[in-house]
Amino acid sequence: MSPPAILVSGLEKRYGAKAAVDGLDLAVPRGSFFGFLGPNGAGKSTTIRILTGLIPFDRGSVEVLGFRLPGQELAIKGRIGLVPDESLLFDRLTGAEYLEFVGRMYGMGRSIAIERARGLLDLFELPAGRKMIAEYSKGMRKRVAMAASLIHHPELFLMDEPFEGVDAVGARLMKDILLHQVARGATVFLTSHVLEVVERLCDRVAIINQGKIAVAGTVDELRAGGESLEDTFVRVVGGSREPWEAHQGLEWL
Amino acid sequence: MIAAILRAQFIAMRRTFGTGIALSLLGGVFWYGLWSFAALAAFSYMASAPAARLDTSLPLLLAGVCLYWQLMPVVSASMGSSLDLRKLLAYPLPHARLFFVEILLRLASGLEMILVLAGAAAGLAMNPGTHGSAGMACAFAVFVLFNLLLASGVRSLLERLLTRRKVRELLVLITAALWVLPRFILLTGIRSRMSDRVLGAALAACLPWSAAAHAALGQVGTFAWPWLALWTLAAAWFGRMQFERSLRYDAAAAQASPAESPGRAAFADLCYRMPSRILPDPVGAIVEKELRTLARSPVFRNLFFMGFTFGLLVWLPMVIGRTGVGAHRDSFLATHFLTIVSLYALTLLGQVTYWNCLAFDRSAAAFWFVMPQPISAVVVAKNIASQAPVYLEIAVLAGISSALRLLTGWGEVVEALAVVGTCSLYMLAMGNITSIEYPRGLNPDRASQGGSAGRFQLLVLVFYPLAILPAALAFLARYAFSSETVFAVVLALAAAMGAIIYKLTLGSAAASAIDRREAILQALGTGEGPVVS
Repeated sequence: MSPPAILVSGLEKRYGAKAAVDGLDLAVPRGSFFGFLGPNGAGKSTTIRILTGLIPFDRGSVEVLGFRLPGQELAIKGRIGLVPDESLLFDRLTGAEYLEFVGRMYGMGRSIAIERARGLLDLFELPAGRKMIAEYSKGMRKRVAMAASLIHHPELFLMDEPFEGVDAVGARLMKDILLHQVARGATVFLTSHVLEVVERLCDRVAIINQGKIAVAGTVDELRAGGESLEDTFVRVVGGSREPWEAHQGLEWL
Repeated sequence: MIAAILRAQFIAMRRTFGTGIALSLLGGVFWYGLWSFAALAAFSYMASAPAARLDTSLPLLLAGVCLYWQLMPVVSASMGSSLDLRKLLAYPLPHARLFFVEILLRLASGLEMILVLAGAAAGLAMNPGTHGSAGMACAFAVFVLFNLLLASGVRSLLERLLTRRKVRELLVLITAALWVLPRFILLTGIRSRMSDRVLGAALAACLPWSAAAHAALGQVGTFAWPWLALWTLAAAWFGRMQFERSLRYDAAAAQASPAESPGRAAFADLCYRMPSRILPDPVGAIVEKELRTLARSPVFRNLFFMGFTFGLLVWLPMVIGRTGVGAHRDSFLATHFLTIVSLYALTLLGQVTYWNCLAFDRSAAAFWFVMPQPISAVVVAKNIASQAPVYLEIAVLAGISSALRLLTGWGEVVEALAVVGTCSLYMLAMGNITSIEYPRGLNPDRASQGGSAGRFQLLVLVFYPLAILPAALAFLARYAFSSETVFAVVLALAAAMGAIIYKLTLGSAAASAIDRREAILQALGTGEGPVVS
């Protein structure tokens, strides 16, 4: 039996006195569409950055696709597709040049990279001319990042807010492609603040709060008792908060 | 409001500087120490010069101050700090107040000149032949204000012009020519024929520096004060008008990619792909990407253009001298003209290539850490890409030198290539370390932006002589033994040593990049405050 796509145990990452990730345990089965939810500053992006090898961690163990971190970074990087919160795009390249470049960085021959880049540009309706990425809109940048994550046929997609800033048509296209990737056996691990999207796409969900997993399970398990995913989320991460009207000194609002 | 902007900037700067603040301070002490020495010299001269000489020397000094203040930030490709209007325009801030902050920032980019003017003013006050008075202090203060207002207008105008395609290269050439014109006149025979007329024109009573000097010396008969007031009002109008135009300027529209002819695009593509035909991936792919990036970056294009234009304008007058081409063929400068100008181009381009090789990637530098390729391949590819424009510069310079009959044969071209290649190894070795230890993101669109992080300017001052030293030893050996063979052997040894040092530092830089990746990405992706520099 193949190991989980992601297996994290006791993961800790501190910035000075503050723990961004505080003893995180997580297992993402292969072939799942996994939603990783949490309020702002809960540790989602930090976790993704650790999984991609962008930042080191202080304690715990991390395995991605059966390869350990640290030590087997190159093996992991070759097998993941990444759509990060911060763009990895080189502004002075055109979309076509960037996609070809990414393909070659994953070890493809130039002609194959060019062919795939053309196909992806067409699929994502990106400009094929001389327009540089610097001139792209936010949604177009997300599309080209998504296209780049697909070019090498990865086994695992790590996506931080992939639909942010993308129009409805583009978002539908991206969702369809991701569902197809899961159907062919790939794993998708995504964060999103749009809970309806997560509810519709994901089969498993984990909610992280203050660096720890607050709740995890299948979408149906989390919705048990007639709650929506949003109800569960608010209850788990913000249920104890008072309504804003109760705050002192905000009468002017 | 002004306090809020300055506080936000202070907080942003404090976070940007981080641990490098000691080095920044050291660099500042060194730089302003030099200018303090100049201020002391101005004080000493002004305190003892006879009144008759002050009539000429004070206007000349003020003219020099004005020229430096207005042009130095432009030719050094670093126009200092400025308000980031994109961030501030969203707020209901009166334009007059923003303009006031902009004027204050111009003060920061002319601190050297304030030092010199303070020295000169103090000297004048101590001079028994002049009368230190409130009028004198007032004249200097108004002259400073004139320069601040003019600098603000010049900066706003240049910032806009430099974003326009084709205009910026022409502008750099004109500015460089203006900057070296006095030097050219002094060093060539033109001086004797024109000096009196040029000097006379430069000291006309109606010019701002002459008016300020006359006002400071109490010579009211020359209408000094009215002229000075008029110039200051004109500078205020110019500065404010340019600032308002900058507020309304749409840089994105000016920079939008123009439609390119298919033939030209295909040719450019062929050139970019050439390294990939020789080098295997990933190095080939990264070199190709870097060349595309550099060629499309206004900052780089300006420096590349300056490499052979400004380089020639600086060095050519020294070779031509006062008696024309050929008269100084025996001087070291003339016999090694191509080598020296090529080394100048190498150092100039280093600002945005090898000293800070991740600069243009900014937050996208994270890409290098998520790709399944060793980071050493990225560094090597960036080093190779940084050298391609240098050799293109040498080719252009060789062509110009040949046209000017400054080249005697192919030997000089080979020598220039060998010397630049050797020095490059040392500079790249040091650059790889500084790129990892002191990374700083650069906006490739801001043609006025300096390339090097302030905190390692000092290191660069130390590194350049060190990098050139091995090649200099080869020249010394040639001179001592009068032998080309000895020169070639010493240069080859220097190159071999350079290759070893490069190899060692490459491994060290790659390992350090992995360890420091979080800090590197933070430094490259750090957003600036309301003031950009």
